[in-house]
Amino acid sequence: MENNSTQVPVTVLTGFLGAGKTTLLNRILTEQHGRKYAVIVNEFGEQGIDNDLVVDADEEVFEMNNGCICCTVRGDLIRILGGLMKRADQLDAIIVETTGLADPAPVAQTFFVDQDVADRTKLDAIVTVADAVHLSSQLGEHHEAEEQIAFADVVLLNKIDLVDQNQIKGVHDRIRKINPYTKIIETNRCEAPLDEVLGLNAFSLDRVLEVEPDFLDSDHDHEHDDDVTSISFVSDTPLIMEKFESWFGNLLQTHGQNILRSKGIMDFKGENDRYVFQGVHMLMDASPMGPWPSKAKRNSRVVFIGRNLDSMNLKEGFESCKSE
Amino acid sequence: MVEQIIKKSQFEERGTLFETGAPVTCSVSIDKVIAVGFGDGSLRLYKPDAEPVVVHAHNGVILSIAANESHIITGGQDGLFLKISLNGEIEEIYNFGTQWVDNVAAYEDMFLCSSGKNVYIWSGDNNKPKLLEHQSTIGGIAIDQNGRRIAVSCYGGVTLWRYEKNKWKSSKFAWKGSHSKVGFSPDGKYIVTTMQENELHAWRIRDKASFAMSGYPSKVKSFTWAGDNPYLVTAGAREAICWPFDGKEGPRGRTPLCIASGGQENATYVETLPGEKAIFAGFKNGMVLLSELSENPNDVLIQSPTGSEISNISISPDRSHILVGDIKGKVLWSPLWEQ
Repeated sequence: MENNSTQVPVTVLTGFLGAGKTTLLNRILTEQHGRKYAVIVNEFGEQGIDNDLVVDADEEVFEMNNGCICCTVRGDLIRILGGLMKRADQLDAIIVETTGLADPAPVAQTFFVDQDVADRTKLDAIVTVADAVHLSSQLGEHHEAEEQIAFADVVLLNKIDLVDQNQIKGVHDRIRKINPYTKIIETNRCEAPLDEVLGLNAFSLDRVLEVEPDFLDSDHDHEHDDDVTSISFVSDTPLIMEKFESWFGNLLQTHGQNILRSKGIMDFKGENDRYVFQGVHMLMDASPMGPWPSKAKRNSRVVFIGRNLDSMNLKEGFESCKSE
Repeated sequence: MVEQIIKKSQFEERGTLFETGAPVTCSVSIDKVIAVGFGDGSLRLYKPDAEPVVVHAHNGVILSIAANESHIITGGQDGLFLKISLNGEIEEIYNFGTQWVDNVAAYEDMFLCSSGKNVYIWSGDNNKPKLLEHQSTIGGIAIDQNGRRIAVSCYGGVTLWRYEKNKWKSSKFAWKGSHSKVGFSPDGKYIVTTMQENELHAWRIRDKASFAMSGYPSKVKSFTWAGDNPYLVTAGAREAICWPFDGKEGPRGRTPLCIASGGQENATYVETLPGEKAIFAGFKNGMVLLSELSENPNDVLIQSPTGSEISNISISPDRSHILVGDIKGKVLWSPLWEQ
């Protein structure tokens, strides 16, 4: 995904039914912000939006014939984004609403796989609206709820005035356990400033560089096998590029279905540049991002969010890439 | 920045360049007119020796266009399916509300469109359309040369509808994947689709034998038929890739002709020069070439690179003029022959 100013940013909006997605969409469409946003909604989704910049979609997920077993994309999105790019006026952003029970991965993967989509648009961020009252029980009952938190760059924790401080802390802890890197914004009626939700550039490789290291000492408890968790590693010893490519490539091939998101900044032996990657399941975007800043500490950091992470020997694999 | 001096072609020298400001999305030739659809909903009618007529047809992108002998039909993102006369008079056939009208087709008094997963057919004086349902959103529709068969592409292949005993009967031509544009070969024996992957798929209708035409570096956004063989001429590569469809087996086991090889970028649109063994290829950088269907073709420069992707090439029905359109809204309208 190249950095190109003519690419229209696309925000993916997920969240369970009733969490408040429609409230947020209505704000985006009606507030006087001087910008032109198109919204792609699901025809089976929540009702109540009427605007000529609203397009009905039908969440058609299909497998690519590219040999990648978990590579599913949204066919309707390819068609609709292509159609919107034919407009005479330039859109400032596009928002894709998914149904409550949708897996966000095919939407994200569409931006990695389809060249036309990648040429003209770019994935900006995945924003998940969560209901502070019901999120905990939804996480226990539905895989999709966990995935929506796991993929989120931003969680809008909505209906916050309906829960007490203890409950808020409990919900925060649940979210952090799945995804320590997501930004949590507490709101009522989705009243967050729109610039905290749109135009985040969360999928640019630059943003990976901002991954905060403080989560890294967190203990990784053994979780129920099916739970979504995260794990991260740091190495002050430079890594060997060939070893890392071989281990990481093999890892995504064999466990890509269970690795929902991955990010990393790598310090390779003999290389002056920082190498940065970010992935969704088996698909990955990677690039050298210029030399290390003179004052920055050179080290390698990787982060995985997924299921059954304990079964992947991640620590051993990462350690084996070290140059000493 | 070093200023590049790009030599204009003879077609650019004698033609007229229009800056319309809206992407060129589709076109159709009818009578002496080339009707062009734009991304701002306008339709322009280009005729020799006259200024183009602008028709304010849709409130949003015109997605698809077709014509019978007397009328143009268009489908748009505003949900309208319109019938437009050559004088620019607009008649609404149907309003689909918030649903886009993605594809349209016409044959004599039969008008078709697709919106979502459905194809709607209007024919004769019947105001109520016949509905043909499909399993997923429709990528493309095509009517055969006799108006008896309709090919509809979507996810998983093509549905072929035949009109028999006053009924539309369907038959499925399956191939995994997402199929978009669809067309019949000129002899009506094959169906061809473009796919989400960088390839085309084809079926011989008689026995449903199917094969892929692959190896493209990018998505195949355009195809046409040319020559007597005929050749299936395709965009998607640095050259126009032309697959021979003569003989019993068509292109299977044969290598395609690669012509119009002067482009530095992938071809995005191809069009045949009717009655000649020649085709036009438009490229991602705005260049357009005319090339012969032969092993050692001569290429003629129609348009020098402009930097904007070619989204349409159309030849007037009397072959007097060529129209080239791009995604930035530039239109070149030029006499095809020296006067």
